[in-house]
Amino acid sequence: MAEGGDTNAVNENVPVYEHVGVNSKPFHLGSFRDLWLSVLKPEDYSFNETSGEIEDAQFIEELGITPQTLEELKTICSPDSLRCHAEDETPDPDLVPANPQLATLKLRKRRLDYKKTLIRDIVGRHDMFSNELEMLSLGRRAEDASDTVPEGEIILTFNIMYPVLFVRFRHVRAYQTLHVLGSQKLTELRDAICCVSDLQVFGEFSNTPDMVPQFISKDHYKSAFFFFEGIFYNDMRFPECRDISTVTRDWAKTRGFPEFNTAKMEEATFSDLRMKVGYPYLYCHQGDCEHVLILTDVRLVHKDDCLDRKLYPLLSHKHRVMTRKCCACHLYISRWITTNDTLAPMDPCLYCDQCFRLLHYDQHGNKRGDFQAYAYVDPGAFN
Amino acid sequence: MDYFKQTLKTDCEDLLARFQATASVRFEEFSAIWREMKFSSIFYGILEPSEKKVFTRLVLSAASQYLLPPYSFQIRVGGLYLLYSLYTSQFNVPKERIRIALKDWDELIRFQQDAVNAQHYDVVYILKKLLSEQAVCFTAMPDTLSFQVKKKRVDRRQQLCESFVDRPTRPQELIGTDLLEELANVHEHYEGLKKAILPRPPQSNLSLVKPNLVPKLRSAVLTFCSWQQNQAEFGSPSDGDAGEGTSSQAHDESSRRAQLLASIKSRSYAQAVEASRSRRHRQIELTSAAQDSESTRQIPRFRKPPSLKMRTSSRFTAEGSENGGLQRTTRLWRLTAVEGEKTEEKKKRRFIWKERMRSEH
Ligand SMILES: [Zn+2]
Ligand SMILES: [Zn+2]
Repeated sequence: MAEGGDTNAVNENVPVYEHVGVNSKPFHLGSFRDLWLSVLKPEDYSFNETSGEIEDAQFIEELGITPQTLEELKTICSPDSLRCHAEDETPDPDLVPANPQLATLKLRKRRLDYKKTLIRDIVGRHDMFSNELEMLSLGRRAEDASDTVPEGEIILTFNIMYPVLFVRFRHVRAYQTLHVLGSQKLTELRDAICCVSDLQVFGEFSNTPDMVPQFISKDHYKSAFFFFEGIFYNDMRFPECRDISTVTRDWAKTRGFPEFNTAKMEEATFSDLRMKVGYPYLYCHQGDCEHVLILTDVRLVHKDDCLDRKLYPLLSHKHRVMTRKCCACHLYISRWITTNDTLAPMDPCLYCDQCFRLLHYDQHGNKRGDFQAYAYVDPGAFN
Repeated sequence: MDYFKQTLKTDCEDLLARFQATASVRFEEFSAIWREMKFSSIFYGILEPSEKKVFTRLVLSAASQYLLPPYSFQIRVGGLYLLYSLYTSQFNVPKERIRIALKDWDELIRFQQDAVNAQHYDVVYILKKLLSEQAVCFTAMPDTLSFQVKKKRVDRRQQLCESFVDRPTRPQELIGTDLLEELANVHEHYEGLKKAILPRPPQSNLSLVKPNLVPKLRSAVLTFCSWQQNQAEFGSPSDGDAGEGTSSQAHDESSRRAQLLASIKSRSYAQAVEASRSRRHRQIELTSAAQDSESTRQIPRFRKPPSLKMRTSSRFTAEGSENGGLQRTTRLWRLTAVEGEKTEEKKKRRFIWKERMRSEH
């Protein structure tokens, strides 16, 4: 009882759910793109608009209808047929209409009415900011035509979580959202992930506060890896880079895990990868700063997207962290952290640059009292 | 924003149920209901621009499930009209797009072909219009995913709207006259072969093959069919036509459409949910339908089999209930714990950050 027609085998690069609503099965990103392009017509994803007349002619021919029928269809299906108010009225779209019938509107009205009763209306600065970010990139075209994202390219969206920095904020899942192109290298994403642990300066500088070196951890410790689908992608661009996944792989070997493979981060593009959408992966840098990474979306590029290649990886969301202010002026963001400080109200204590110097040094720059001072980078410094 | 999920589902299904009641696939009917419900106002009253985007994504995602099987052809047309109407009515610049996953694309093309074959020009026109306006986002998965294991599990249960789904017609389709004829031939041939390999003519009481296979199969399908019809008469609310004051010509027209629709429905169903249910399951449904049509309705479709532990313990106690002493001595090698012997360790320990931090300091 063979069923005719349904003979084509299920292609494993057509993404399907592994767990419904949670994550997909792994698929090869480049092949996924090719599959989309094979079923679509070029005009479906082209950046140029096809002229309406050509489309009309095609439609008439394909369906074998008269031009009159098409005109009729256009009238019946026009957006005007969906207008819910009289032609001379213009309702205010910012207001929920009186006596709404839709369940969604009733709920929105309830919520808006409740919001009004609150004294403090927190209009999220964050919302405004993320909106700004999106506005910046919308429909951006490259100045140089050679920098234009090609038609049929894929855009990947990554959510990169921050490690839990404070116990206080542990229930807030801080993350940033970055969009990368399928043809980009993994290292391009790595360079776009900003994390405070890359900016730390090591050393005690209470005797020489003016001599804080400009070298930050990022310049000292360049090793990092991504872990995707059982493969460690190591950053090996610089001679001082090391394969820091060795420790993990050796540990896994002694515990009877199957062997993990390694690859070079700078040699792989995202299109080369096999990944699951919605599944947690790992980014590790500075030895032990670990970020969970989730590929939340893969899609074909659209003419309304940012089409300037140079602007990718594109940041579209950035969690704002509370900044820690100076303990003396409560105004400026802290730059110094002191310990064993007899002048300080607590231990350790945070100061802005100015207060730190005024309090701890006399006019000749001599140290007052005994204390240790370290450079401090606030997690909110990226805000 | 997720708090709107439930109300959006309610609103969409309300609209589609009204559309279903018209027994039509015309866009005029749909847009009349849309206007009557003032559906455009669903976008009203959102102040934050970013919230507008998120809400639009949410409502498009809520509507797009009706475009795909297992929903009936008519509901899928309604789903398409709904997506088109939501897409055109939104306030975002540029507009938020309708996400289509690669795995659903074939389904959409087949749907378009069905509409072309049945000459539903408005359906084809709107589908083409959405594509030519590039209102569709070609994606890997229907929604963006961020591994929200706990949240999704809750709303996965109440997803499918049963009244929008066609009754299964697969058995009737599969076992048509052609197949029965073919089967009768094969059966005859098989019987002949069996007779041929016997050394001497068989005795009349020795049955080589199952007799009357074909008539039995046919009657089983017929029983299933009539059982299904009875079910429909009792079960579903009356699908009265809501055609008030339609002229006789229009009525003729719509009945012709209804016939066409029925043929499409059965065809579009060919690729629907059935695949997920095993053949074995359907066999059970068939036989039980023949035996007793009433009792089957009460039996839940998927009953969870008892766990291994349950089965082991029930068998163990049933077989060896008289020698309880033996049970006590064999406890050491037993793999499962006896009921009522649960220790406090069973309670799941949760990892608590606060305690952890305190103990570290
Ligand atoms: Zn980090
Ligand atoms: Zn200060």
